[in-house]
Amino acid sequence: MSPLRRFLRTPEAVAGAILLAALIAMALIAPLLFPGDPQAIAGPALLPPFQDWSLPLGTDRLGRDVLAELFHGARTSLAVGLAAAAAALAIGAVVGTLAGFAGGLVDEVLMRITDAFQTVPSFLLALAFVSVVGPSLGIVVAAIALGTWTGPARVARAEVLSIRERDYVASARAIGMHPLEIAFREVLPNALPPVLAMSSVIVAAAILTEAALSFLGLGDPNRVTWGGMIAEGRAVLRTAPFLSIVPGIALVLTVLGVYLAGEGVVETTAVRRSLS
Amino acid sequence: MSGFTISRRKMLVGSAMLLASTAMPKLALAQTPKKGGRLVLAADSEPRNLNPAIVASNGVFFISSKIVETLAEASFDGKDGLAPRLALSWEGAADGLSATFKLRDGVKWHDGKPFTSADVAFSALQIWKPLQNLGRTVFKDLASVETPDDLTAVFKFAKPTPFQLIRNALPALSSVVPKHIYEVGKIEDNPANTAPIGTGPFKFGEYKAGQYYRLTKNTDYWGKDEPYLDEIIYQVLPDRTSAASALEAEEIQLAAFSAVPLADLDRISKVPGLKVITKGYEGLTYQLVVEINHRRKELADLKVRQAIAHAIDKDFVVKTVFLGYAATATGPVPKNDPQFYTADVPTYAFDVAKANALLDEAGYKKGADGKRFSLKLLPAPYFNETKQFGDYLRQALAAIGIDAQLVNNDSAAHIKAVYTDHAFDLAVGPPVFRGDPAISTTILVQSGIPDGVPFSNQGGYKNAALDALIAKASETLDTTARTDLYKEFQKEVAADLPLINVAEWSFISVARDTVGNIANNPRWAVSNWADTYLAG
Repeated sequence: MSPLRRFLRTPEAVAGAILLAALIAMALIAPLLFPGDPQAIAGPALLPPFQDWSLPLGTDRLGRDVLAELFHGARTSLAVGLAAAAAALAIGAVVGTLAGFAGGLVDEVLMRITDAFQTVPSFLLALAFVSVVGPSLGIVVAAIALGTWTGPARVARAEVLSIRERDYVASARAIGMHPLEIAFREVLPNALPPVLAMSSVIVAAAILTEAALSFLGLGDPNRVTWGGMIAEGRAVLRTAPFLSIVPGIALVLTVLGVYLAGEGVVETTAVRRSLS
Repeated sequence: MSGFTISRRKMLVGSAMLLASTAMPKLALAQTPKKGGRLVLAADSEPRNLNPAIVASNGVFFISSKIVETLAEASFDGKDGLAPRLALSWEGAADGLSATFKLRDGVKWHDGKPFTSADVAFSALQIWKPLQNLGRTVFKDLASVETPDDLTAVFKFAKPTPFQLIRNALPALSSVVPKHIYEVGKIEDNPANTAPIGTGPFKFGEYKAGQYYRLTKNTDYWGKDEPYLDEIIYQVLPDRTSAASALEAEEIQLAAFSAVPLADLDRISKVPGLKVITKGYEGLTYQLVVEINHRRKELADLKVRQAIAHAIDKDFVVKTVFLGYAATATGPVPKNDPQFYTADVPTYAFDVAKANALLDEAGYKKGADGKRFSLKLLPAPYFNETKQFGDYLRQALAAIGIDAQLVNNDSAAHIKAVYTDHAFDLAVGPPVFRGDPAISTTILVQSGIPDGVPFSNQGGYKNAALDALIAKASETLDTTARTDLYKEFQKEVAADLPLINVAEWSFISVARDTVGNIANNPRWAVSNWADTYLAG
């Protein structure tokens, strides 16, 4: 059975993939469907959903189109989630590989630094970082990556520790390859799969962290974010609950989609590995 | 406030009447003041320093005005808008060099010691003038306070000081604290700053951080039969959404200072047993202002500032951001001020085409991307409304080709960024108008103010004519002439736009029907509540 067919046989994986595809589609077509500034004032304030079909999800307290904000918010969420996860995985893989491959003092120093970062709750770290440096998209990505690279680093190190004793590593040493070259060309690519398996969890966590930061007013105020939309809606929770519920649902589905699809991929590949 | 607010108020009164028809027995009870009872209300901040003589701010007054009294309080029908408290009468000398206060007899401090003119002299000279945030300006020329007898205090000024200003400053600036408590040790470190001792109808009970403040009845109060309440509890509810639910659940009986979000008022006004009150804040008007950094070369150009003024739809702001609970502004004095306001100033109608034309004229043409130039916009974080107006302003500026980038900060960082570092191009601020332009309004446009003074002109604006006008008004003794100078001041500010006044708003109280004598003076929420009672 091919991996793709096996993936398609798992209903939760398929559901996850569909959700994720819908999210990506939303993010991609947002500028086509809703050109211009999604924060522009489009109609009367606090219009409930399904009243006016030019503004299907209604408007917020200033009269901004909730649907346009939702679509553009998908871009932010996805961009932050992917960028933060990529950054975290990259940092983690490099640190883990160096620590595992070099061993000795380098390993000790790198792993103690990892410990230090791991003991601080990642959300608090992100919170502190953003409030000191100031909120902007790049800073938010950096702040989230700062708190999440430790997991991949530990996994990468453990994997590297077993790989570095393999024969092909010994032969690479024998032909006189530079240790760094061995580490990053021979060892790292083979250590990656289990690290990448963490990516779905990290992306999901990054999207949530970004939403939480925006909810607390620490997101980029010049961009639409789902967390920011929920925070906006909170002031009128009793009179216009849809303002918080709509982006809340989007957030739940996104995190669920990313996680299910990621798990599906991991399981498919894991089965393949055990079979081979 | 404006006609619109009044009509809104009438509407609310109307809906209250409707409610009353269903709750007639309760309302009948509410006619005669009743003794006893505990009033529980929402408090959204927990000021550390409760000494109103040092920190003259509404957050402090809200609690401490029940404990520490001022010489006079604002009043709807009193002469010059004042009602006597610790002082029975006041009079300024014709030369502006002295002011005489006759004090109330038989007043005792909460610790039993008698209140005398020595306390007034001590408070004025040792606290209001050197330490108080607002008193520093108003009492800067106070040289001495003579006390010919225990019930007379004569303020002596080094330079002629308009008595109109002193009079207007009495409700907010003249909190009297006991000399015998404060003459020992450093005033700023006195324990009475956190557990105040005063002459007011309520004594300080206890404070549990994060939970409540408790005030208890002063049985020795000078007011006949007052106070009516036995106890006041300020329940700390920092989350704005929780005040409305607490009212509905009858956990609290009163939420003042708009603790209930404006968007919830429509719904809550329909809840039986609750009333929405827009009165009682006439003396505490906040102004929504766009602060401008004149160091930016684009903003130093009057045409650009005019364009920005034309780009703001003030009616939209009042209607959408404030949901009608505000009035549009024309200049630096709010419309509801009875003494100084003039409508005779240059105005800027909402006109995007004109704004664009002005910017073209000023030489800032639209680029290929439709943008003329970019600005940093810092909305003050203290109110939901200032933040929302920031979002609106960004859109309004986008419509005329100005790309505004919002920068969000917490309170401390905002004050530092705007008033110390000047790291802003535009800022949204909520200054307070305190009954006289000289108290906290002229400072917003006057030049020569040192860096770091919050809520002052930190935009680098300098206008010699305006400075001269402010200086002249500060030493003009004749009330009419002084008032005219401030009318001139409003015209000049509206014409030259050192800042842009957008709207004026005040607060809303929501209370249970049983709370009586609410909103019976223009500073009700920060007055002494001696006559407040609970019926039923």
